[in-house]
Amino acid sequence: MAYVATRGGERAIEQSERLYRAAMGDITEQRVDEVKAAMPYLIDRVMGEASLYDEDLAALALAQTGGELFEAVLALRAWRTTQPRLQVAAPIAQDQLFTHRRISAAFKDIPGGQVLGPTLDYSHRILATDVLNGATYAPEKVEAADKPSSAYQPSVAAWQAENDLLDLPVPDDTKPEDIPDVTREPLLFPSKRAHTLQSLARSETGGALALGYAAMRGYGQAHPTVNELRLAEAEIAVTHPNGTTFSAGRVKVSQAEVVSKKGEKLELGFAATLGWNEVKCISAATLDLNSKGAEKGSATEEEFYLYHTEGVESSGFCIHFKLPHYVTFQSSLDAMRDAKAKKSPKPEPAQ
Amino acid sequence: MDRPHSEILSILARSKGAALKAFGETLIPQLGDIDVQKSQTGLVMLPMRDTAQGTAFHLGEVLVSEAQIKRGDLQGYGMRKGRDLEAAMAMALVDLAMQSDMATEDCHAFVSAQKQLQDAEDHTTLCEVEATRVDMETF
Repeated sequence: MAYVATRGGERAIEQSERLYRAAMGDITEQRVDEVKAAMPYLIDRVMGEASLYDEDLAALALAQTGGELFEAVLALRAWRTTQPRLQVAAPIAQDQLFTHRRISAAFKDIPGGQVLGPTLDYSHRILATDVLNGATYAPEKVEAADKPSSAYQPSVAAWQAENDLLDLPVPDDTKPEDIPDVTREPLLFPSKRAHTLQSLARSETGGALALGYAAMRGYGQAHPTVNELRLAEAEIAVTHPNGTTFSAGRVKVSQAEVVSKKGEKLELGFAATLGWNEVKCISAATLDLNSKGAEKGSATEEEFYLYHTEGVESSGFCIHFKLPHYVTFQSSLDAMRDAKAKKSPKPEPAQ
Repeated sequence: MDRPHSEILSILARSKGAALKAFGETLIPQLGDIDVQKSQTGLVMLPMRDTAQGTAFHLGEVLVSEAQIKRGDLQGYGMRKGRDLEAAMAMALVDLAMQSDMATEDCHAFVSAQKQLQDAEDHTTLCEVEATRVDMETF
């Protein structure tokens, strides 16, 4: 491939950016607040893919890019690099999550019961078109129970282990500072499991769904059943200079376990992300479940799905094709013309 | 009420910013000269433990505000989710005041009031969550 330096178009570039931003108009603090309040699930998706949790910044990124998700995630990831890392928190564990939603599709009577939490799973998807005629859509209020749900729900897997249905893993006691970090180390294959799960946590939702869906439809080794799906809040356990550990606040997290019914014991696939994003977690857990022994180049092979669900890299590669490729393209055209010329019969010389 | 240092810090970190800043402001005259060592935003990496194979991995980073102040040998510290430097500084002021045995009663009262608010908020949330519990019948 050859590149050539070109000049020109400075004014056009400047005006094109203005034209893009003109569509959004003035970005104010009020607009950012409105975006944050109106679209919490979109904010969660952006924070998860950017692997940066801050609702205000995510709302600002969405407002500033007009909701172009790839641009919003890129802006957040870029901003993240301007900040120092102050601490690594203590690892969060499933049974320490302040749980809003916890369901299992595999077992009906799980310890702690099935708690639906916030969901549209069982709702009719009907647009409230009256709003467009001036009416206000006011959602009906939740009729709260008299007694609270338990904040901390037990793990379904622990109960399954008690019933000899699966083997619980040995907990990884790696110090938080020593956990492999894909933002500071290259992703090499076969990938460290910590890298795999971190990459899936920051993967692009649509990419994870596309490849996970391929596995669900049969292009994988195992059909998933949701063993446990949890939407929750996790404490950020940080350390005071005198050594006291405390929570710096809570962040929303989601996690999914999917289970394969092959063999004598159940086998789990796992994924989690910042924010509440069920589709991504179930899809990513399906990829995790299917990756063992996957054929090279298949949708469920680790190298394939980790590279192709990285949203900033994939969208960046895609849009780079819009940039001038005049030299390479011209060179290909020259080769085509040359081949055509050689193939054409030469005119017979006049007798 | 004697609360562990860990619990006090957790309550302060989750307190509403405006209330914390207003209370922190009242402690400044009593604390006198303090040395501000840190007042910055930054990231805290949040790891999680996978339930399938037990591996610890990074979920992503959380934006926090951090403040560290010193008065003599005592250090006050604040770290809160979000980008409110003044709230983090107010948290450090309360921490320093409590460690210096200053305005102890007021500080405990503030912490208790915030704890009550936080418990009430959690209670409301969990009562709403409980309303979504499924009682399944098997045919």
